[in-house]
Amino acid sequence: MTRPSARMPRIATLIASLALVGAACTPAASTAPTSGPTSGTPTQGASSAPFDATSYPTTAVDCANMPAGYTGQISQIVAVDRLTVEFHLCKADVSFLSKLAFASSSIQDTAWLQAHAPDKSYVRKTNGTGPYKLKEWVEGDHVTLEANPNYWGEAPKAKTVVVKWATEAASRLQNLQAGGAGGVDGIDNVGTDDFATVQADSSLKLLPREALNILYLGLNVDDAPWNNEKVRQAIAIGIDRARIADNFYPSGSEAAKYFTPCAIPAACGGTAWPAFDAAKAKQMLTEAGFDFSKEYDFHYRTKVRSYLPSPTEVATDIQAQFKDNMGIKLKLVVEKDDTFLTDSSNGKFPMILLGWGADYPDVTDFLDIFFGTGADKAFGAHFKDIEDGLKQGAVNPDVATREGIYGKVNDLLIQHVPMVPLVHGGSATAWKADVEGAHSSPIGSEYFAVMKPGDRDQLVWMQNSEPSGLYCADETDGDALRICEQIFDALYTYEVGGLKTVPALATACDPSADAKVYTCHLRDGVKFHDGSDLDANDVVLSFAVQIDAGHPLHTGNAGSNWYNQYLFGGCLNAAPATCSPIVPASPAPS
Amino acid sequence: MTTYIVRRLLVTIPVLFGIILVVFIVGRLLPGDPCHILLGERATNAVCAEFNHKFGYDKPVLDQFGEYLTGLTHGDLGRSLRTNLPVGDLLISRLPMTVELSIYALLFATTVGILAGVISAYRRNSAIDVTTMAIANLGVSIPVFVLGLLLAFFFAITLKDTFFALPPSGRLTSGLTIVPLAERWGLQNTGGPIRAIVDFVSNMYTFNGLLSLQWNVLADALRHLILPAVALGTIPLAIIARITRSSLLEVLGLDYVRTARAKGLAEPAVVRKHGLPNAMLPVVTIVGLQVGGLLAGAVLTETIFNLAGVGRALYDAITSHDFAVIQGFVLVIAIGFLVVNLIVDISYAFLDPRIRLS
Repeated sequence: MTRPSARMPRIATLIASLALVGAACTPAASTAPTSGPTSGTPTQGASSAPFDATSYPTTAVDCANMPAGYTGQISQIVAVDRLTVEFHLCKADVSFLSKLAFASSSIQDTAWLQAHAPDKSYVRKTNGTGPYKLKEWVEGDHVTLEANPNYWGEAPKAKTVVVKWATEAASRLQNLQAGGAGGVDGIDNVGTDDFATVQADSSLKLLPREALNILYLGLNVDDAPWNNEKVRQAIAIGIDRARIADNFYPSGSEAAKYFTPCAIPAACGGTAWPAFDAAKAKQMLTEAGFDFSKEYDFHYRTKVRSYLPSPTEVATDIQAQFKDNMGIKLKLVVEKDDTFLTDSSNGKFPMILLGWGADYPDVTDFLDIFFGTGADKAFGAHFKDIEDGLKQGAVNPDVATREGIYGKVNDLLIQHVPMVPLVHGGSATAWKADVEGAHSSPIGSEYFAVMKPGDRDQLVWMQNSEPSGLYCADETDGDALRICEQIFDALYTYEVGGLKTVPALATACDPSADAKVYTCHLRDGVKFHDGSDLDANDVVLSFAVQIDAGHPLHTGNAGSNWYNQYLFGGCLNAAPATCSPIVPASPAPS
Repeated sequence: MTTYIVRRLLVTIPVLFGIILVVFIVGRLLPGDPCHILLGERATNAVCAEFNHKFGYDKPVLDQFGEYLTGLTHGDLGRSLRTNLPVGDLLISRLPMTVELSIYALLFATTVGILAGVISAYRRNSAIDVTTMAIANLGVSIPVFVLGLLLAFFFAITLKDTFFALPPSGRLTSGLTIVPLAERWGLQNTGGPIRAIVDFVSNMYTFNGLLSLQWNVLADALRHLILPAVALGTIPLAIIARITRSSLLEVLGLDYVRTARAKGLAEPAVVRKHGLPNAMLPVVTIVGLQVGGLLAGAVLTETIFNLAGVGRALYDAITSHDFAVIQGFVLVIAIGFLVVNLIVDISYAFLDPRIRLS
């Protein structure tokens, strides 16, 4: 029996409930401060206006007497004139151009920073000089980019780029396979098990991504029995690295011949890592008086990385190889993910399984990080002969000379064996077969402007995750950095699909003879998406707000500016070892 | 009635407090820490100490909880650690998707479930009854994520380029854009609850298409919702079908139904007029309980189908230790669950006059 009169209150109750939920979800009025701090940097004018050149810091950092807490390499950035900028460094850095090309070094407009850094609105609104402009960011769903009609370079081939995301590789592949109008044209990180599926589908193409990482077996040279160099040399030839690469890695991966991937210029001079020889390894261990009766701890974590897609399986295989090839008993010890890196850096473990992925494509990002003077204690005491070699390599800009220097370092690594390089883990992107110009970038910075998706105007790309922000000086996630690279330009960039640095907003950055001063000549006539002109002050401020943790425009998403700290060594006015502003001893007023 | 509702609302306060407390504590017990998740695994201890200080994670948990409660009493759900957006804004943008998906999933589950249950009861022990209940048992057994992936594979890939092909993910075809209803109706400068409701409805794309007469948007949004709604609604459907069947069979065996038959009333009329209305009480209870299940199932469904709803936001927040988002979203889901249950309880009085809420 229905009662029309009784229905109305029920519907009214439902509507009232929805209204209550809606009202409850109404955001409170913004209480953000409205007065923005002043930067002290002159407002940029048009190219014809008088140019008031700025420098940062106003007085150069005295490299011989660094300010308290500052460990950075930049002494001063000087706008010489409207189109010339000088970077003065405290020490020579041959990888400086590679660091300038990184997405976190993108150039922002001065007025834009002044307007949008204080309230952090630049995290979700952009004003770059790149081939694409941000059209919309539908939170949680997609980002749409539209072609920049005033782009200084070659016009982008697709009018629109839509970036979507899906955390699961299977879901990404389904979207690529589904096709249809508005379908996905390219996906990132094809699942290891899906390589064959893509290769078997004639409507798709698989583009392996050059492996720019290294999985290694670390040996702490301070701990017995690994403190015996003869023992370590035996371990170096006692592991079948090809077996690990073949059994646990996707195609495109390779057994490591050097610690640094050979795609990186000057990385692979000297002797390749010695070949697998179980009998000789066993013999060397016996000669060294190795104690085969003991069981030795082998520490690893279960976190999946491109350099280690199957942690437990690989660790187990290494354990089996030690037993079968050399008669050494290993005990697998799984470490907590949140403490493993710190503990291993402090040299807590005698033997570890760990890896590294490149941030910028230079040998220094591999060898200096692990074996240079600033390296941690994961492998125990440092080797002075290796450190000396790396010092020479870091100040020599000539690639051929560097290859010779690093060749000697590679030979010393084989001699001392603080670690055994195991595998360079590959990955891949997949595309519809008709996407012209599709490529995989070794550092994950696929450049959409050169891609033409068949007869369509729109390129749809599906990656792993949504960007957390698009002010990429303060982002660490590759999925955010890739989008930034479509919207922003840096002074240099990496060649499409490669690692070589090529000029972008700068026509050239010339190093001084001692590689301590880089003079960058800016491209004339470059405009930001809002029509502002690019000039040298934009470059100065873009770096200043990252370097100076006390700068009023040093905000960002989390405010850490992590990559600046990592690439250029530290921040001014920051608490020790951080890029966050110095925290007052007493509680700050709320 | 009013007294009952007020009493029920008062009872929800300690329940909500308990939920807030548990979610707050469980969030802090998750392995890993937000610093390394947000700043990368190479962030040093010093950087993380600074990070934790900045966001107050170095304070005692009780102090953090107290600050969170104080914020809540001012309507402040906090800011997302990952995106720096106010959690309230995130809810405004994410909740409509989940509500829309739940509506279609529930519509699918109740319509097909009740129909299947009635047919099974009406044709008791027939082949159609056995088949329907076998499918219902299968439906209850298949996890949402398995069904979702199977549906996406079948409709998006196997039936690719056919009339029956459906998109495997997303809310709209790339390139198709939604015009907010507030903009379409000239309410850009309007604020308050009315604007909130308009924005809420506007973010439900099928409703937006319908109210703005954009039929292409409506059709496209519906096409995108079919697979997730079916995936999400299948388990509730199976449960509703079984409950409907058993409840109807019980009612059809009662004396007054026998009397109706004795009066010469045709069997379809007996079922429709005397059986079904009286068999609905347990079904309504189950439907109400399934709403909670739908909200929980939305976490998986939205993740599989890449739908930007509360569930997916919650998944992302959990993986990135975004405490404010986890707490805010769970709180809203809990409130939604409590509200639906209250509505279900109140509806008893209308369905069965013998029940007095007092």
